[in-house]
Amino acid sequence: MSERIDPRLMREGRRARGALYGSIALGLVSAWVIIGQAVLLAKLVNSISFRHITLTPLLHWIVALGGLFLLRAGFTLGAELLASRASLAIKTGLRATMLEKLLARGPAWEAASAEVATTMLDGVETLEPYFSRYLPQMYLCVAVPLAILALVFPLDWISGLVLLVAGPLIPLFMVLVGYRAEAITQRQWEKLLQLGTHFLDVLQGLTTLKLFGRARDEISIIARISDDYRLTTMEGLRIAFLTSAVLEFFASLAIALVAVLFGARLIHGHFAFYPAFLVLLLAPEFFVPLRGLSVHYHARMSAIASAKQIFELLDAPALPRGTVALSTAENFDIICENLSYSYAGRAVVEDFTARFPAGRITVIVGASGAGKTTLSRLLLGFLAPTCGRILVNGQNLADVVPESWWRALAWVPQTPRLFHGSIEDNLALGLDAPDFARLRGAAARAHAYNFIESQPGKFSADVGEGGSKLSGGEIQRVALARAYARNAKLLILDEPTAHLDSRTASDILDAIFTLPEGSTVIIIAHRLAIAERADQILVMEGGRLIQSGTHESLMAVPGSYRSLVVAQKELANV
Amino acid sequence: MSDIWRLVRLLSPRRGWMLAGLGLAAMTLLANFGLLALSGWFLAATALTGLAGITAQNAFNFFTPSALVRFFATLRVGSRYAERLVTHEATFRLLADLRVWFYRRLEPLAPAALQTRRAGDLLNRIVTDIDTLNLFYLRVFVPVLTAIAAGLIMAAFFAFFSWPAALALIVGLSVNGILAPTLTSKKGAKPGAEISRITAALRTEYVEALQGMGELLVFGAAPAMQVRAAALNSELAAAQAEMGQVAGLGLALSGLAANATLLTVLIFGARRFETGGISASQVPMLVLGAMAAFEATAPLPAALQFVGQIKAAARRIFALADQAPPVPAPVLPAPVPENFGLELKNITLRYSPDGLAILDRFSLSVPQGRHIGIVGPSGAGKTTLINLLMRFHEYKGGEARFGGHDLRAYSSADMARYATIISQRSYLFHTTIRDNLLLANGAADEAALWHALGVAQLADFVRSLPAGLDSTVGEGGSKLSGGQARRVALARAVLKPAPWLILDEPTEGLDAETERAYLADLALILEGRTVLYITHRHAGLALMDEVYALRRGKAVRIS
Repeated sequence: MSERIDPRLMREGRRARGALYGSIALGLVSAWVIIGQAVLLAKLVNSISFRHITLTPLLHWIVALGGLFLLRAGFTLGAELLASRASLAIKTGLRATMLEKLLARGPAWEAASAEVATTMLDGVETLEPYFSRYLPQMYLCVAVPLAILALVFPLDWISGLVLLVAGPLIPLFMVLVGYRAEAITQRQWEKLLQLGTHFLDVLQGLTTLKLFGRARDEISIIARISDDYRLTTMEGLRIAFLTSAVLEFFASLAIALVAVLFGARLIHGHFAFYPAFLVLLLAPEFFVPLRGLSVHYHARMSAIASAKQIFELLDAPALPRGTVALSTAENFDIICENLSYSYAGRAVVEDFTARFPAGRITVIVGASGAGKTTLSRLLLGFLAPTCGRILVNGQNLADVVPESWWRALAWVPQTPRLFHGSIEDNLALGLDAPDFARLRGAAARAHAYNFIESQPGKFSADVGEGGSKLSGGEIQRVALARAYARNAKLLILDEPTAHLDSRTASDILDAIFTLPEGSTVIIIAHRLAIAERADQILVMEGGRLIQSGTHESLMAVPGSYRSLVVAQKELANV
Repeated sequence: MSDIWRLVRLLSPRRGWMLAGLGLAAMTLLANFGLLALSGWFLAATALTGLAGITAQNAFNFFTPSALVRFFATLRVGSRYAERLVTHEATFRLLADLRVWFYRRLEPLAPAALQTRRAGDLLNRIVTDIDTLNLFYLRVFVPVLTAIAAGLIMAAFFAFFSWPAALALIVGLSVNGILAPTLTSKKGAKPGAEISRITAALRTEYVEALQGMGELLVFGAAPAMQVRAAALNSELAAAQAEMGQVAGLGLALSGLAANATLLTVLIFGARRFETGGISASQVPMLVLGAMAAFEATAPLPAALQFVGQIKAAARRIFALADQAPPVPAPVLPAPVPENFGLELKNITLRYSPDGLAILDRFSLSVPQGRHIGIVGPSGAGKTTLINLLMRFHEYKGGEARFGGHDLRAYSSADMARYATIISQRSYLFHTTIRDNLLLANGAADEAALWHALGVAQLADFVRSLPAGLDSTVGEGGSKLSGGQARRVALARAVLKPAPWLILDEPTEGLDAETERAYLADLALILEGRTVLYITHRHAGLALMDEVYALRRGKAVRIS
């Protein structure tokens, strides 16, 4: 698994190759400076303790050592800057690509938005240590120990052997232990995501929880989920920490062994102090890169865990895109031919053939689950039909560049979404040069003008997250005004009078039915009051078109429409 | 600093775990210091003995120091492993405490304090900020206190041999561990706060883009959103680059301080040796000890840099947690209502002190068992009436009595016992249908659940799902249609047999046929309950005994 992800992450690293290599090169050079320091330090100690030389004649060595220290500080800074620059370029690029892929996938794809946002932010952030720490450290891990061994072996082959044996054993053990830890990190990441989603869910539903007197119960659920998280994570960490224990074991014991073996030889005068002390100074340095690797190895595991999620998003299939621009037209005549769409093996829309004539108002009615919303998604191009096609003025929608199709239409979804910002920002959504008169006109037609004017900041009043500062009916009217502001010749409205009181609803219907000449309107409706005035009514049931005609013609025959109308009439008398 | 102190006090119930981790961390550092210093001395001592001839060789106690070298090495391995386990265990326990503490604080504030906040922002606050606060122990508390304790012990050891060397070590450790990181964290405070701010903004942007993608695409607003996200990302990159630069400088300065100390200790050691104060073998011991000592301060730059983030997170979390609840909790236990009638006289309610009076000297009498309909256009205060009854918002003036007692004697938790609400904003949790139903009544058995679904006209649908009751409903109920979601809410009401039933636009979004069936079934569960039916449409009002219109903050009887 990780074998496939590492190379792919490395490929992502190409976005910032120069900075990455630079940082590695600086790391290698500073490793050689460390060896130089050890040699000078050993010479100084040997001269002082064993040759009884005073400090003054040693001044040039002391100055040289100070110079090396300064040089090393400079290299440290440079390597740090380059590594951080490299990972920044990679993260920024990845986020932009992910956003693009998500947009190409379209809104019909369902995913927990908080989860995806977490992957895009925190997930991508965990890649930073992979590029800025783990990758450079990988090179140091090979280069530094080899350089030290090259110096130690000629001085004392026994110590060289101790280091040579201890060194490679560390990565070996870490790999052995690490693989299992990796699987556990993966699980822990999922828990973390679940916890984030769970929290958002609880907070969004806090009012409902309180209404049922269950808000306090959630305390124990939060505690339990946190506790589960602790138990699974600690299970992983007990093993993951073995890697650091293994490292400590070999590093500390190798140093102890080098010291004791030297002691045994020094005491009999078989060996000189200088080389022995130099080796002892270098022994901890031998393990420093490996020590760093063990820290960054965990960074790698978290990076791999989030990289899986990131690549999953990146690899998601995009919506098929047409390549031909939609021919410009004064109005739109739309024909669905044998349109079918199935999801998870179930036909949601089946063999749907109908015409939405230009300049006419078509209302689609049917019980919930009849496939009305799926039909609107097909018309909008958010879903590709399983078979059949949609013709717009004779042009197959599947061949059309989606942006050119969307530019031609306006849409009010079943639950309209407002974006953070002012009412004006929302009305002007996607308009290149919004002029205020146009927005005001659209607001008036959607019967939103008066309530907007009564807001504290009028058109510049903040709508809150998802329109939380407005009521359902107000959001509905802003969404309708937003659609009107586009002056589109095709309007697709899903439940335009939802959340509205009957007075406002009928005002809004009046506005819809007095749209400019030539506008094609497709309305999905539960309220049959809309249908009465439509030019054409399509009745859907189980994904199929079962009846079509005008209100009068459909009322004249027994069938679904008539029973729906009768039901609603009875309702008024309940 | 007071936020940090408050955080420490907040975490203090776990001090056993916290101190155990601290002790083990100090032991790990001292074991390494002992290993290297002793090895340095050992090498020099044996070398000197080797040079001194056979008599000295025989007199030299080889066994004790070599055993001690091995002991320190072993101790280091064991305490390192134990330290990591204990500190992480403590961290996770603290995390659970913090989350629960915060939720407890937040719960009484809802929904009043949360209505203006963005959901994405809130998620960011709670998950990220609480995680940040939680890392305080592992990344600040342990390294800082360990460094101080171990540093002092090591300096005391040095003082046996050379006072100046001990002083140099303390100065070096302070520059390396305190001065350089303080400079770093001072410089890093601004980019640190920037990073949190931009990340929150970016999260909102992404959540909005995902939830409103259809509109963004159709309205051609996706490119503008991508540009905004890209701009935020480059702002984030700039702040992180500044942070990286500060970190790099701090690292370089710290390294330099450690090396300068090494050199100074060598010079002072050499001087002391020249004057005969210490032996030849103690010079390498001090040098290697000085090298090992800086392991103690190595994590401090990161720790102190993190303090900036901790402070920002603590400020936000405490500010939210310290808000006064909109409705003070009653001091006395709630009295048992004598009946379930409600009497409102001249009640005034506004959401902010200088805001519009949504209810203006509002009077309404709801005797027990009565079915009252309230109609009014959107924004007339229908939802406010629920906020009043459920004690989500405080009212001014007038008198409200529930069951013969002052309404102020009841908390919202008390009122939740007496009333079930089917609201236009009934929330479905991202879990199974079963769990969403059990919310209303945790003790309901399988049969009760199916009965409730039957009344709500949802049983056939649930039965047709492959996983039945255990099917998940999606985020915010996204896998259900609007009508189905509303019917889950109805089923909840069936499961919770409270004396009051408040219906807030219960048929909004239902098609005519379903609405008719729904109202017919609703009639069954109204029996014997006191009902408040709030709507802007006239369907279903025939089921009511009295109907009032909400006009300019007052109720006017219309039938």
